[in-house]
Parts: sequence; structure tokens; C-alpha cells
Amino acid sequence: MALRELSSLEKYLGLKKPNKYSSRGDKKCPVLQNNNGPPLVGLVTIARHLVKEAKCPEMLGETAEDRAVVHQWLEYRVSKLDGCSKDDSRAILKDLNLYLQDKVCMAGDHFTLADVLMYNGIHPLIVDLTFQEKEQYMNVTRWFDHIQHRAGIRHHLPRVVVLRNKIYTCKHH
Amino acid sequence: MGFGDLKAPSGLKVLNDFVSDRSYIEGHVPSQADVAVFEAIKAPPPADLCHALRWFNHIKSYQSQKNSLPGVKKPLGQYGPAGVADATTTVAKKADEDDDDDDDVDLFGSDDEEDAEAARLKEERVAAYAAKKAKKPTLIAKSSILLDVKPWDDETDMAKLEECVRSVQMEGLVWGQSKLVPVGYGIKKLQINCVVEDDKVGTDILEEKITAFEDFVQSMDVAAFNKI
Repeated sequence: MALRELSSLEKYLGLKKPNKYSSRGDKKCPVLQNNNGPPLVGLVTIARHLVKEAKCPEMLGETAEDRAVVHQWLEYRVSKLDGCSKDDSRAILKDLNLYLQDKVCMAGDHFTLADVLMYNGIHPLIVDLTFQEKEQYMNVTRWFDHIQHRAGIRHHLPRVVVLRNKIYTCKHH
Repeated sequence: MGFGDLKAPSGLKVLNDFVSDRSYIEGHVPSQADVAVFEAIKAPPPADLCHALRWFNHIKSYQSQKNSLPGVKKPLGQYGPAGVADATTTVAKKADEDDDDDDDVDLFGSDDEEDAEAARLKEERVAAYAAKKAKKPTLIAKSSILLDVKPWDDETDMAKLEECVRSVQMEGLVWGQSKLVPVGYGIKKLQINCVVEDDKVGTDILEEKITAFEDFVQSMDVAAFNKI
């Protein structure tokens, strides 16, 4: 799963040469073996490395504050999101919904790596949501729809249909 | 299309609903559509319209690039939910706008904003109807009642009796003609006409007031009741 994510990230960043990844340990941490230097272990580490390789530093945030926020969400993805239980997922969605109420992207006003990784991480949760729940977590749904339409992000993940439904009213206004 | 009047709270509400599930006015990247709507709003939306405020702040951050955003700027009425009256072109009579809205409602289009819109339309229609009603002269319901007032005996002073009856003054009550009709044994009853407004005067009230003159009036009957 992580390996496919990394290769789709490569495609998005426009990196020409796909890297060879392997996985390690029972949590399947992706490992990137570099020719010069120690291997890079971990999704976040490798993702950051790819961004630097593609020379898109703005993907990591423009201001210092944005960079800190991006880093925070990358950590969140790896620690909380991967392998969370059903109950946790409710809490996570609620937190995200509150956070996204006044934001269009995860960090600042521009698209960053945080958006990509959070999108990939949250996709399995959103796929299972009913329409009612999608209305309930309106902000998450809105952000999710926005990300999945951006060119080049959604490679291997199926597109989630988002439809406004008048039967379920928005509760969080 | 259009958001209604974006300078009024109703238009901002429509915008709020529209962007609640969208990041941008059109498509998934900022474009001239966003610029067009942004320029129509002068001040940031209030905090309770959280989606509009979010969109506003986000587009504000693109202010420096606004000329380079993709798309073609169209007039404001081209954006927004289908089914909303385009307030930028119709300055004219309210009646016309109401008719247009009926035709424009797209049955298969996005119905999300209809709640806010329907409420607004209703208010407009009520106002227009009230205005029309006010112009018509109001028809007040009136009736003509013929009362029979009977004295105790033939000794009763009928002139005094009539005076007493006419002294009953009420709003909406106008006394009319009267005549004395003999009933027999020298007794005469007073037949008096009056015109009343149905809303204000009832026959029971009249009866109460007239029979209050117990010295003169033995009883009162309604001989005839005609609507005018």
C-alpha cells in the first residue's frame, strides 16, 4: 500500500526515474535504498526525500509556520491514521472536520505534501462512509473532493463519489 | 444563476451554501470565477457563515495573482447555483422577478440553495401581494337590520323610547329610518332601521343595550336582517 502510494507520488512530482522500494518489518515500512548513503526508512522520510529530489520545496510549505503544520500532518498520518480502529476513525474524522472548517488545504493556502499523504491515508475511511456521514463531515468531504480532482494525485485509488443530499441536513452550522 | 444580492445577507447566505461543499466557485483550482465573485463582495462575510468566510480568506491570499488565474471572467450572474434569480440584471418590478424564478428553476439542477431561495421568494411574493391589496379599496361587510322595539303598554311615550334607542351609539352603527307600527290594543311598536358593520356590531350587543332601557322597552326583536 505504502509502496504504491510512493510510486504515485513520484508520478505526481514528475520524477522520471522510478525508485525501487522494499519493505521491512511487520508494519511494512517502505525502504528506499540509495546508492550513496544509508537507506531511507519510513513513508514520511521517503516522501520528503522525493519532494526534494523533484525540487518542489513549496510542497513542504512556504512559510516556516506552514512547514511546521505540514510536518505535523505528516506525522499525524503515520502515527494516528495508519492502522486505526473503527472508533478512532470517528474521532479522527471529527477532528479533521473541525480543523478544515476555515481552511481549503491542510497547511496554508496552497497544496502541499500534507494534503497528498492525508488524502491517501484517509481514502479507506471515506470510502466506507455513508452519504449521511459525508454530509455530517462536510468539510472533510469538501476537502477530499477537492484533492481527488486535482490532476495527477489520484492514481491507484478509486474515485469516491460526493453528492450533496438534501435529506441529510448539515448539522455543524 | 447568480447569488442574488451579494451585498445583502441573503446573497451571502446563498454563497455560503454554495461553497459549503466546494473549494472554489468553478472547478477545483482558483480561477477568474472566484475573482469575479470576490470583487462583488466588499467585506469579509460574518463569522457565522463559516464556509463563505473560509472561501473569502483563501481567495484573498491569491490577490497578487488574480490576473493570472485561469478562466474567463464572466458577469456575476453566470456563477452560483442554478435556480437563483440573477439580481444583477433585474432591477425592475418584483412581479417580473417572481415569474422568472418560476421558469428558471431547473428540475434536475442543484437544488441545494432552494431553501434559502424559496424563503426569499416567498417573502417577496407576500410583500408584492400586500402591496397590491393595499391599493384596492377595502370592502367592509355591512348589513341592514330592521329592529322591532316593543313598549310595555300603550301609555309608554314612544317618542322617548325612540330617543333612548337612538342614544345607543356604537362604532359601525348608524341609525336609519323609523316608524311606528300599531300592534293592537292601541299599542304601537317602533320599527327602526340601522346599518351595522358586521365586524364591529352584533345583534346580541344591540339587544342588550336596547333592553337596558327597562322602563320603556319590553323586548326587542330582529324583524329583518339583510346583507348589503
